Amino acid sequence: MPAVSEARVGVPDDVCLLVEGTYPYVAGGVSAWVHDIIKGHPELRFSVFNIGSRAGVYGPPSYALPDNVTRLHQTYCSELETTPITSAARERLDGEIRAFRRRGRSRLPPSRVLGAIRRLSLEIGRGDDRLLEDLACGDLSVGEFLHGRETFELLAEIAEKVAPQASFLDLFWHLRAIYVPILRLLPAVAPPARCYHTVSTGYAGLCGAVFSLRTGRPLIVTEHGIYSRERDMDLARASWIKDQPDAGDAIRVGARPSPLRDLWSHSFRALSQLAYRRASRIVTLSDVNRARQIADGALASKISIVPNGVEVPSADDERGASGLPVPPGLHGSQGPDDTRALRVGFVGRVVPIKDVISFIQACNLAMADVALDVRIIGPIAEDAAYVRRCVALVESLGLASSVVFTGPQPAQLIYSDLDVVVLTSFSEGQPLVILEAYAAGLPVVATDVGACREMVEGRSAPDRLLGASGLVTRVGTASETAAALVRLARDPLLRRRFGRAGRKRVLGFYRRQDMIESYRGLYRDMVSQ
Amino acid sequence: MQRLIDRGSLTGALGAYLTGVVVTSAPWLLTTAVLLGLRLFARSSGTNEFLVVEQTVTIVYALTVVLSAPMDVVLSRHASDRLYDRRLEAIAAPLGRGLALTVVGFAAVGSAVMTLLRVPIAFAVPGTLLTVVVGAQWLMLSVGSGLSSPSVVLGAFGLGAPVTIIAALALGRGLGLGAVGYLYGFGIGQLCTLVLLLVGVMRVLPANSDERERLWPAFVEYRLLAAASFAYHLSIWADKPILWLLAGWPLAALYTASAALAWFSVIPAFAWIYVQIETVFYQSYRAFYSTLEGGGTLPLLRRRAQIVRAEALRILRGAALVQAGVTLVALMAGPLVLRVAGLPPAAAPMYRLALIGAAMQLGTLLTLLLLYYFDLRRNALTVAIVLLVGEVTLTVVCWRAGLPPGLGYVIASTVSCLLGINLVRRRMRTLLLDTFQSQPFGAM
Repeated sequence: MPAVSEARVGVPDDVCLLVEGTYPYVAGGVSAWVHDIIKGHPELRFSVFNIGSRAGVYGPPSYALPDNVTRLHQTYCSELETTPITSAARERLDGEIRAFRRRGRSRLPPSRVLGAIRRLSLEIGRGDDRLLEDLACGDLSVGEFLHGRETFELLAEIAEKVAPQASFLDLFWHLRAIYVPILRLLPAVAPPARCYHTVSTGYAGLCGAVFSLRTGRPLIVTEHGIYSRERDMDLARASWIKDQPDAGDAIRVGARPSPLRDLWSHSFRALSQLAYRRASRIVTLSDVNRARQIADGALASKISIVPNGVEVPSADDERGASGLPVPPGLHGSQGPDDTRALRVGFVGRVVPIKDVISFIQACNLAMADVALDVRIIGPIAEDAAYVRRCVALVESLGLASSVVFTGPQPAQLIYSDLDVVVLTSFSEGQPLVILEAYAAGLPVVATDVGACREMVEGRSAPDRLLGASGLVTRVGTASETAAALVRLARDPLLRRRFGRAGRKRVLGFYRRQDMIESYRGLYRDMVSQ
Repeated sequence: MQRLIDRGSLTGALGAYLTGVVVTSAPWLLTTAVLLGLRLFARSSGTNEFLVVEQTVTIVYALTVVLSAPMDVVLSRHASDRLYDRRLEAIAAPLGRGLALTVVGFAAVGSAVMTLLRVPIAFAVPGTLLTVVVGAQWLMLSVGSGLSSPSVVLGAFGLGAPVTIIAALALGRGLGLGAVGYLYGFGIGQLCTLVLLLVGVMRVLPANSDERERLWPAFVEYRLLAAASFAYHLSIWADKPILWLLAGWPLAALYTASAALAWFSVIPAFAWIYVQIETVFYQSYRAFYSTLEGGGTLPLLRRRAQIVRAEALRILRGAALVQAGVTLVALMAGPLVLRVAGLPPAAAPMYRLALIGAAMQLGTLLTLLLLYYFDLRRNALTVAIVLLVGEVTLTVVCWRAGLPPGLGYVIASTVSCLLGINLVRRRMRTLLLDTFQSQPFGAM
């Protein structure tokens, strides 16, 4: 059963925010956004329902919970390790298995949850309201799923229909890994709230949909990045899924993509569809994301776009409310020192999805033509192996003196010391770092992911009239990022023009207060329903 | 053993089945041969001392077969599991400790029993030594038959048996030591077998033994197997002392002798079972798990499971057929057998029942072996306990009801055999399901 780290019994909260392994433990990104949303609505009472993978993974919270957060519910869904089993544990398990089997034999009618799992696996895209109702009825325990005869029959059916050529052993463990977290989450007790707001689809979206169904309260889905797409990218890189060698080839020249990747992908897409169907409102950050949500089964009429926003310091104020510096170029004609090395910043977590490797490679390529002073600014604790890989690359390229890992820094210290901000991410929603760079009057170089292109080139017609505020490059193409850096290093006037356009853009379209007000209206509607 | 069969020659097959005979029956075949030799020797010498030797040897084997069973099964299972893990260095330390415990334990048990039964000191000393040697021999036979080549086991008994007979005759007759010398000579031959087994096993084990490996955790791990093995082996003897208590020694002695004769009838089927399980069945079993671990598809796994199922049923049927044939011959040859063995015609009904009971008990043993194979320890224990409790209870009930001695044994072994077959069949039906759905998955 889900663990609740803190629970004060009382009246329902106004909003229960559902997050997946982020707030309040992880710094930046979605966590920063959630923290901002909560602080931006002091008149509302929030609870936070955080779904983690397993206990012990998360360190101390990165954010102190604001006063208007009444409860933090902590639930774990993935205990994926097979524990070394002792003979006593084995006997206990055998006893439990006998009980599960007896229960399974006497079950009439068959489990609705198991039926729903069948439809999720075999009838992808044909979701209906009954699917969620069946899942939410919770008539199947994790033990029954793991050890029941009926489950095995279902797994065999899935194997035959979805992946007849796959290793059944692999398929078996993957299906367990796919559905056990779901089954662990289904019995979670809905925190009392007037509305549920999930900040992603996936497991958080599933819980949000189930809570909403059980309590009859409305559900809001906000997606920054598109969950199913991000998982697809993770799956494409996942080394724990073995691709199949080509059957019959004497010499192995290649391997066929494993159907297991599709199985995982379908399951995440199905979870998204469940959340979309149940949601009263779906919020996203950009037109690009909206189109993807519609492609994944969301009703267009439910979707609204609420861009992220940041506090923007006024030109008369050296330090605005956000603490962001006002760029010198905005005060007068004097620009940055055009003779020194271009100060390039990568701002974000050092994790694979940010593709820091490509950023370092791009800097290396650019430094063949221009002088760069590079800082990688952001948390480095999340993926130690990846950080080690990045540091090793810097050292092997002989860039240790010009590429510095600074760790996380306060926003007011970051941008005053940079000339350009670079993003090389594989996936983004609507990165706050771009908005912060704009607020500081800095140009950006960003990969063409999420809302980055419309943030750089403009979304609406009035926005586009402001002109570009940076350069957009293709994903995973270090040479394009390098070329953009060389161009900006050699053209200070272009940097200044981009910087001014960016600042106008953020003032016109990406103000924090606008975002907060949009959500205030949304919450008002939902809470009063 | 598979290599012997793969030769495709008569000698190869003979070697394989002879190994089966040795591993499954050698110690008690030897005992019986020695006891028969004793009878012949006693007839010619005309002394009563040989009756004491006969009782001593019988007690020694009854004690060792029952009391060594838990240690034997625990250490042989531990050894085969470590062999599977490719951790041979983890075998020697617990085996050494188990052997030491066996020696000390049987020295204590042997001397205590000799004292309790008021065996004269001249016989009690070699009797106790023989208990220690035979107890250790059972252990090394159990572990060695799984670890080392069949030639080691064959060699040990092939050399030990003649040494036993020659030493017994040399000391008993040659040196004129009589029955005591015969007993010492018997012990020397058994010691020779034990040493050969010990050397053979130690040669297989690596020099770098992991001394951290303890014996007790293995006992905890395999306690159900130990209990099942103890119950089964106890059931081989349990009805005899009960009948002794109920009906007195003459009838019990007749019953014991009839049962011992009848037990000879299981040798061919037992050897056949051993060879089949260790070769054809093992291969189908390994093929199933290799396919599973090697990424086999579901249809392929189903086919492999079907082959395992078919093999298990084939062995059950084959064993039944072989045993039925031998039992039929033994039933028809009953009067002759009894006459040769020097048993009176009054033993005939007991002999006939003992033949049927032995056949059923062999069936029970086969199902136990199959249940062990599939690691169904609780089921194996259930079958063994049904056999033991049934045998004890029904022996008493049948005697009180005036039914012939041995009928309780027949009924109990039939019931346990049928139960075992049912459990094996059930397991075979759900092999694929159980293989997957009994896997643990982290904390629930």
